[in-house]
Amino acid sequence: MKNYLNKITKTLLTMIIVMGTNSCSDSFLEETDRYSIDSETFFNSEDDYYKALIGAYDMLQSTYVNVMLGEIASDNTLCGGESATDVIGFQQIDDMIHSPVNSNLKDIWNWMFAGVNRANFILEFQDKTDFDGKEIIIGEARFLRAYYYFELVKWFGPVPLKETRFSLGDETIIPRSPVADVYSLIEQDLLYAINNLSYVAPQTGRATKGSAQALLGKAYLYQDKFSDAAAVLESLIQNGPYDLVSDYDTIFETEGENGEESVFEVQYTDAEGAGFGCLQCSEGNVAVGFNGIRNYSGPTFDSGFSFNVPTQEVVDEFENGDIRKDVAILDIDAWSASNGATFGTGYEHTGYYNRKYIARQGDLNTGDQNLTNPNNYRAIRFADVLLMAAEALNRGSIDDTRALIYLNRVRTRAQLDDVTNTGANLTNDIAHERRVELVGEGHRFFDLVRTGKGSEIDGFSSNKNELFPIPIEEIQFANGNWSQNPGY
Amino acid sequence: MRHTLFKILTVFFVTYASAQNIEINGTVIDQFNMPIPGVNVIVKNTTNGVASDFDGNFLITDVTTGSTLVFSYLGYITQEVIVNDNSKLNITLVEDVSQLEQVVVIGYGTQKKKDITGAVSIVSAETLEALKPIDAAQALQGTSAGVSVTSPSGSPGGGFNILVRGVSSNGNNGPLIIIDGYEGDLNSINPSDIETFSILKDAQAAIYGIKGANGVVLVTTKSGRKNSPTKISFDTYAGIQETTRKLPYLNATEYALLINESYAANGNPLPYPNVSGLGIGTDWQDEVFDTAPITNHNVTITGGGEKVTYYVGGSILEQDGIVAKEKSNFRRSNFKLKLGIDLSDKFKFTVGANYFNTKRKTINENGLGSVLFNALNYSPLFNTDQEDLLGLLGNEVINPLSQIQNTFNNYKGNAIEGNFQLEYKPIEDLTITSRIGIKSYNDKGKSFAPIVNYGSGKVFNTDRSSVFQFRNTNNSYTWETFANYDKVFLKNHHATITIGTSAQRVWGDNLSATGFDVPNNSWEFADISLANGLSDAKSNSSYIYDNRLTSYFGRIQYDFKGKYLLSAMIRRDGASDFAPENRTDYFSSATAGWKISDESFLEDSKVISFLKLRGSYGTLGNNAGGDLYRALLSGEATYVFDGALVSGVATGRIPTPNSVWEEAEKFDIGLDISLFDNLIDITADYFIEDRNRLLISNLPVSGILGATAPGAGLPTANAGTTRNKGFELLINYKKYFSDDFKLGVAYNFTTIDGDVTEVKDDIISRGGAFGVGQLAPSRMEVGQPIGYFYGLKTDGIFQNQAEVNAHPSQQELGSSAAPGDFRYVDINGDGVINFDDRTYLGKPQPDYIMGLNLSLNYKNFDFSTYVYAELGKETVRNYERDQSNVNRLNLYLNRWTGEGTSNTVPRTTIGGTTNKLFSDFYVEDSSFLRMQNIQLGYSLSEATLEKLNISKLRLYVSVNNPFTLTKYTGYDPAATSGAAIGGGIDYGFYPISKQFIFGLNLSL
Repeated sequence: MKNYLNKITKTLLTMIIVMGTNSCSDSFLEETDRYSIDSETFFNSEDDYYKALIGAYDMLQSTYVNVMLGEIASDNTLCGGESATDVIGFQQIDDMIHSPVNSNLKDIWNWMFAGVNRANFILEFQDKTDFDGKEIIIGEARFLRAYYYFELVKWFGPVPLKETRFSLGDETIIPRSPVADVYSLIEQDLLYAINNLSYVAPQTGRATKGSAQALLGKAYLYQDKFSDAAAVLESLIQNGPYDLVSDYDTIFETEGENGEESVFEVQYTDAEGAGFGCLQCSEGNVAVGFNGIRNYSGPTFDSGFSFNVPTQEVVDEFENGDIRKDVAILDIDAWSASNGATFGTGYEHTGYYNRKYIARQGDLNTGDQNLTNPNNYRAIRFADVLLMAAEALNRGSIDDTRALIYLNRVRTRAQLDDVTNTGANLTNDIAHERRVELVGEGHRFFDLVRTGKGSEIDGFSSNKNELFPIPIEEIQFANGNWSQNPGY
Repeated sequence: MRHTLFKILTVFFVTYASAQNIEINGTVIDQFNMPIPGVNVIVKNTTNGVASDFDGNFLITDVTTGSTLVFSYLGYITQEVIVNDNSKLNITLVEDVSQLEQVVVIGYGTQKKKDITGAVSIVSAETLEALKPIDAAQALQGTSAGVSVTSPSGSPGGGFNILVRGVSSNGNNGPLIIIDGYEGDLNSINPSDIETFSILKDAQAAIYGIKGANGVVLVTTKSGRKNSPTKISFDTYAGIQETTRKLPYLNATEYALLINESYAANGNPLPYPNVSGLGIGTDWQDEVFDTAPITNHNVTITGGGEKVTYYVGGSILEQDGIVAKEKSNFRRSNFKLKLGIDLSDKFKFTVGANYFNTKRKTINENGLGSVLFNALNYSPLFNTDQEDLLGLLGNEVINPLSQIQNTFNNYKGNAIEGNFQLEYKPIEDLTITSRIGIKSYNDKGKSFAPIVNYGSGKVFNTDRSSVFQFRNTNNSYTWETFANYDKVFLKNHHATITIGTSAQRVWGDNLSATGFDVPNNSWEFADISLANGLSDAKSNSSYIYDNRLTSYFGRIQYDFKGKYLLSAMIRRDGASDFAPENRTDYFSSATAGWKISDESFLEDSKVISFLKLRGSYGTLGNNAGGDLYRALLSGEATYVFDGALVSGVATGRIPTPNSVWEEAEKFDIGLDISLFDNLIDITADYFIEDRNRLLISNLPVSGILGATAPGAGLPTANAGTTRNKGFELLINYKKYFSDDFKLGVAYNFTTIDGDVTEVKDDIISRGGAFGVGQLAPSRMEVGQPIGYFYGLKTDGIFQNQAEVNAHPSQQELGSSAAPGDFRYVDINGDGVINFDDRTYLGKPQPDYIMGLNLSLNYKNFDFSTYVYAELGKETVRNYERDQSNVNRLNLYLNRWTGEGTSNTVPRTTIGGTTNKLFSDFYVEDSSFLRMQNIQLGYSLSEATLEKLNISKLRLYVSVNNPFTLTKYTGYDPAATSGAAIGGGIDYGFYPISKQFIFGLNLSL
């Protein structure tokens, strides 16, 4: 027995000594067993660049809120929702009483800068590893940076510029660049993309030369650079592979996704969702569920949260016989009467829904019924390009004849008679056409503001509401480096 | 020891030499009926005395009737018995309640209570026995000053959060738990296996360095005693549970009338034109609440020989939930072994092992969409099987009974944990201890989401069934070697020196996956192996972790004549999860004590039997914020190309290259007082703790950094300081009147005043949620308590349009005001009411914590009761869905219906109002006093026990949580999620249960 105990003792002592020498060396702290990918040691292969590019595209999905608010802020729709305080930030913008305290505006600021940073992550390391076709990835990254910066300049005006990732402290050093400088970077990025991308994307959903041309044309138009806009847009019309889809109704259905009218389209899917805690994480189009019919039960459509409901005014804007009206606007009373559907009424119920972007039946809606709708956002349609070209030619006094041709192409598809006006009357016709052609697609507020008609919106204060306020936190982070937009 | 032996021998000799008078024999046992060997039995004022033998038996001769026998034993109350003709005496010695001689574990060593110079709380097995906690953490609630225990839920297996001296950090505030030397968790051990808790609350815990800042709970589990016969104990109880509270909600008629009014107020037609005959409708709370059983069985076998001690314990606890008992229940089984072996005179070996197994099922709790949230908001007009098919109640509120039916999950965990310890005593005063503590915890879980339709537009509808499964392994070991050298030199100088080293590794991994299209939409087939549906998205994930720590520590304790006490300690820690240049640091502290009662001027005091002044100061660490320095590519980068999901790479959380752990700077000054011959013990402490380099997680930074991208995150950085100061008082009164009557009263009181004293750039962190889509209600800000509530302040209700017109516009809040709406205070005085007018509305942490324990023994009866109170805290009422048709609390019966009708409860309308915005209307005083336990027991008399040949049989009845005094309207004023920012927000907490228990303690 004693012998046995001695043996145990010796064994234990040996164990302790062995463990002691092993454990106490510094290497004990170094040998940890864990994953070790690092952002600064990345970009070692073509695949690394491609993977980072997917990351830069990912943020496009968060622009659902830009699209919704582009309508809600305008005279096209009301906020809606469940109650006056359902999403207070939306409601304030609808009523034009928004202030620097607005979590939804903060989302736009945050998410668009996140997009800029993901594009800049690639561009910061663009010289690290070479491979064939790198200019395509760089071209797309620069297109995306331009896309995000264009959103930022539309919403907030002057914003800080950087061509590599922002780092902590930049907010106190880098000034808000003037709008002209922001556009200058957007233009340079898009010109690079135009020169390096082709009209056919390597994969559906990726930006093309045409996407870059259309966005550049739009950027020029927003600056009233009419001849530049006309040039790039007409080049796109003549050389690009795009055309109007003959049946307007199909554009917004699943079969119409990535069609020949789609110059750039934000891709969504019903295969992977997210929760309310991270709406920007959803791979689905969150706006579609938010726009959806409240507590709907019936054919064709799925239920949603009844935001972004069209006003009677925009419904009345459609000319008689315009086939687009029934595609863009759902008259829910008429629909339920003829289809036996039931629905609930939300706040500010107008009886109309934004039919282009409300939930359809038959989707998987993985993760969350309302947050994972697969409807792609048709960000730039060829109809938009034609109307922008017409506007540039007309407002730049370049050629009303060609402007009429482009405008009437759009009207013909809508089964409307040709317009023959010129000059200022034609300008008004084009503006009217943009409103009804693009209703529900998030353009209206900015079209009004850039043409000096913001005051047509109820509650709009001129020299203030053209821009949205910088989130109050950002002003504080900048510690005096950035000042608030006028009027806020 | 040698001295005692000598005395005993002398006594024996003397006794033997003069043996003449009557002889008395008997047995000395403790209150657990265990014999006590070595008890001194002396005839008072003589040298006639003996000691009890190994079985507690004694025989003393030459005792004259009428003299007094004195029974004394270290750590027990000395007992005096007057000798009559009875020659047989059975004596029960009671442990010394003054505890001054009690040996207390203080980390890598022990100290007698009287010599302790730090702030230590002690909770003993007695408390555990009385409270019968389901989780060991509950035993600390209300029983020790400075320690508070909160629970996020009363659901079975719900878990507890322990706070030592309040919330200092906005991240991890849980103390370090050390069980017999290894780092563990309280929820894995059977509370019956615990001998004592010592809680190190001040800088004395610096010996635990980087892990000591939140306090250290040292758990000592029971062991066998040497030279004691085998004792088998069986403890069992069974009881039924019911909810402690039901909220006053509207019945069907009241509901219909109120809904009608709110439609009429907005000019809409009445939804329920005929309310007669609606009656009271369905009471959904009655439908979901149930009575549920709880049972616990516990067996222990303990004893020891000359060289071996053993303790074997086994237990099974089963608890069903008071909501959905089939779907909300908990089972825990433990098996415990502890062996002590003296290998030789110099080597002692101890092995302890605890196996535990848990099973748990849960329902959706404390959130929008939880079962109770639905029970409160669902319409009383609906039948129990009726779904809200038309979506009358909005998109979230569903039938809670259907929800329970469609809830399927289980969770199973298995752990083996324990330690091996070798003690080596090469020379008289030196002990070298080496021990390895291990823990291996493996768990797995499964949840099934069936295809279900709760009505149109409900967000909880599922079109496609899925089953989610995960498995985790979690491992750790801590290996420590330390030496204690204890020496008295130059007669009056006593020093103990401890040096040691420790290495720890904590590692594990996870694997989880989701399967789609479960066959037959049935739980029976819910397994990934059978769910063959494909998904375009990645449906599996994994992670690994591996954190290591190497440490060296030393401590010197010195006293002069046991009167002046000093100690100093230092620890160097290196942690693997920090950047190499930032990973090591030193923590140190010093303590001092002065036993004033040993001074000549107090020596003869009749009042003060013990008085010690003590103080401590030092720094400790809170090991949080690991891996923050690494710039990981953990962002989510998922997009759609060619119509299918593609996964890429993006940056994750913004790194903080220079991040280090938090540092606590603790100061404590205390008094230990015993009065009237240890009848009353008082411990008082005043403390100040600064938490420096506070790790502020989700530190708001400019949006230009891109931290809100999917999978990215705001940085966590050392960017603040908090200060907690407070006062603790513990008063113990224990009187042993006679064998038949004993009384004990313990009262503790704690004040905690905590504030954020500094944040870099005065940045404000926000958290928590109120309602749907509202601004975050909780904040952390300089000059305010962590996690205070921030919202609009009301100033009554607009009684008429003139009042509305006279007040600044409230339009910017979303809707302009009308009579019957809240009048919000223009806090910043800018003439307009908007979200800049939000202000302090309350805080989730209490100002005062109190506990009271009363215990009484009369003859064979014992009675005890525990009371716990928290005062000066608030909770946010957030279980009311802001929707037109949901049911309401009956406080809305007193709503504003016209001028002068109410100045507190606003009008009801389906039109736009700002009354549902987060304001003080939704912040309630949640101070409470809870009777935690009342217990009455009866033990069989010794005569009966002898007949039955058993050593103890006690029967008892007990009621847990019989009542709670509070003004709070919600289910549980004590509940909080425990989050530092965002705690104290009530979505309908799963209430704690009221338990009626019958139990039995049997020892053979």
